[in-house]
Amino acid sequence: MLDLSTRSAKIVFFGVAAIIGFFLFFPVYWTVISALKTDQELYQIIPTAYPHKPTLSHFWTALTDGQLPKLLGNSLFVSLSSAAFNATLATYAGYSFAKYRYFGRKPVMMFMLSAQMFPFGLLLITIYPMYVEWGLLDTRLGLILSYIVFALPVATYMIYSYFSQVPNELIEAARADGASDLRIFHTIVLPISIPPIITVFLYSFMWSWNDLLYSLTLIVSDEKRTVAPGLLLTYLNETNADWGGAMAASLMAATPVILGFMFLQRYFIQGVTAGAVK
Amino acid sequence: MPTDITHTADAPAFRPSPHAKRGGLRAGQARFGILLLLPALVAFCLIVLSPFVQALALSLYKYTISTPEPIFVGFSNFTKLLSDPTVRGSFVTTAIYVFFTTFFSITLGLAWAIILNEPFRGRSALRGISLLPWIMPATVSAFIFGWIFNSRYGVLNAVALEMGLIEYPVAWLSTTSGAMMAVVMTKVWLSIPLFMSFFLAGLASMDREQIEAARVDGAGNYRVLKDHILPHLRPVLLVVIVLGMIGNLQQFDSIYALTGGGPVRATSVLSVEVYRRAFEQWDIGMAATIGVLWVATILPPAYFYLRQLMKGAE
Repeated sequence: MLDLSTRSAKIVFFGVAAIIGFFLFFPVYWTVISALKTDQELYQIIPTAYPHKPTLSHFWTALTDGQLPKLLGNSLFVSLSSAAFNATLATYAGYSFAKYRYFGRKPVMMFMLSAQMFPFGLLLITIYPMYVEWGLLDTRLGLILSYIVFALPVATYMIYSYFSQVPNELIEAARADGASDLRIFHTIVLPISIPPIITVFLYSFMWSWNDLLYSLTLIVSDEKRTVAPGLLLTYLNETNADWGGAMAASLMAATPVILGFMFLQRYFIQGVTAGAVK
Repeated sequence: MPTDITHTADAPAFRPSPHAKRGGLRAGQARFGILLLLPALVAFCLIVLSPFVQALALSLYKYTISTPEPIFVGFSNFTKLLSDPTVRGSFVTTAIYVFFTTFFSITLGLAWAIILNEPFRGRSALRGISLLPWIMPATVSAFIFGWIFNSRYGVLNAVALEMGLIEYPVAWLSTTSGAMMAVVMTKVWLSIPLFMSFFLAGLASMDREQIEAARVDGAGNYRVLKDHILPHLRPVLLVVIVLGMIGNLQQFDSIYALTGGGPVRATSVLSVEVYRRAFEQWDIGMAATIGVLWVATILPPAYFYLRQLMKGAE
């Protein structure tokens, strides 16, 4: 939409693009090359712009010596479970909000949505003693359940805005054929709704995978710890900072979300911006 | 949502089957709808609503590591807090943090969206990898910027030294303004992709003919941006500002991982302050009180955002 035929327009356009591009991508580049450098090359006052002797030893050390595989495994279990749980709840609730009319529907929906503004830290203050009482502190189940806080409200809204565009005729035709509501949902609506459901799944997965606050607080023992607090506690003690290891572990910690994202990017963006852009 | 499909004029009216009891089907349907909602609602009430209400209540209690049971103290936590300079400091820190993160991430996100809206080869690939910072765990981005800002081996110091901007390496994260700059930069880096996506979605619905017409009338880039593109993006911009403010008010992970709220309290925004009071000093009552004040700051933008979201819902 811009006219880039003049010299000055070109200079401004590419100048701004270069600055923002540098800000966005340089940190990624720096992480990758730092992970590939040897310790000797890493700890120089004036660093090298690219690894002169690239090595995978930081990756190898993180995978074999450290806690990383266990942390990744724990995160994978917790995040997959909570994503499945959230996506299931959100799908039923979103369908209910979109296709049924009953007393209190709108206020309940409004209220659930408003929960994403409740300060997460404030909720944690009472979730913690509640979990102590219920015996859920330091359990994977407790952590999985707690991710409802982050994901359920937005996930429900994303699913709701999808279902409200599914034509009613589809449902009514099946109803006229005598199918029960439960069957209509599972055999007719669900099969055409796989992309938004996967989107919501990924959204919840991303929240739980990336979370530090809840996992740091609700998990105490080392063998159940997830990746975000694990990285923090393993690599950045003031006395012994292993930056090469931290960079390599960071990249491996980011990989599962990046992979999921690569396949579902388009749906994901549509889902997240739904409601705001009309 | 452009049209509401549930109420288009040409949709055939639903006629209940003659076998159905009169009115029975509708009532049954409503019940089924509530049944579908029930699991989510129960989970929501247990894990979100009840802790929230309890937390609000806790602000009226003295509840520390030395008091085994909460003691009701009325509003004295509030009066104590409002005269506490560290809490006032925390509000100021939060205001600074939220202002700069929101301002820069929106400005840069908008500029990046306008750039990526121009047709060029590799555009969609560039859009894709532009999302990288957003999907990284916030802890990871804190690591990345911690390494860039590192006082001894950080690339920032190296570049500044080489360019002669500084004479000695600076311990950025140990200074008040350096630490603030680092946490703001980390959050801006994290947020640009999301805002870019919102703006790109807004730009996609832009009327190109309108711009061509303006061009024919002799409008340059500046006028096209100011008179056509920005006004078109106004509704998106409002949503993004509110969303950005809420997100930045909520941010904990990247700040805690990068500075832990320090040095001293320089980056101790409300989220970090609540966490420190509750889980480092075990002063639950006070933490809840700060949390309640924090809710009060989130409420105005939140109300605005909800109204926008519910507009499409009839």
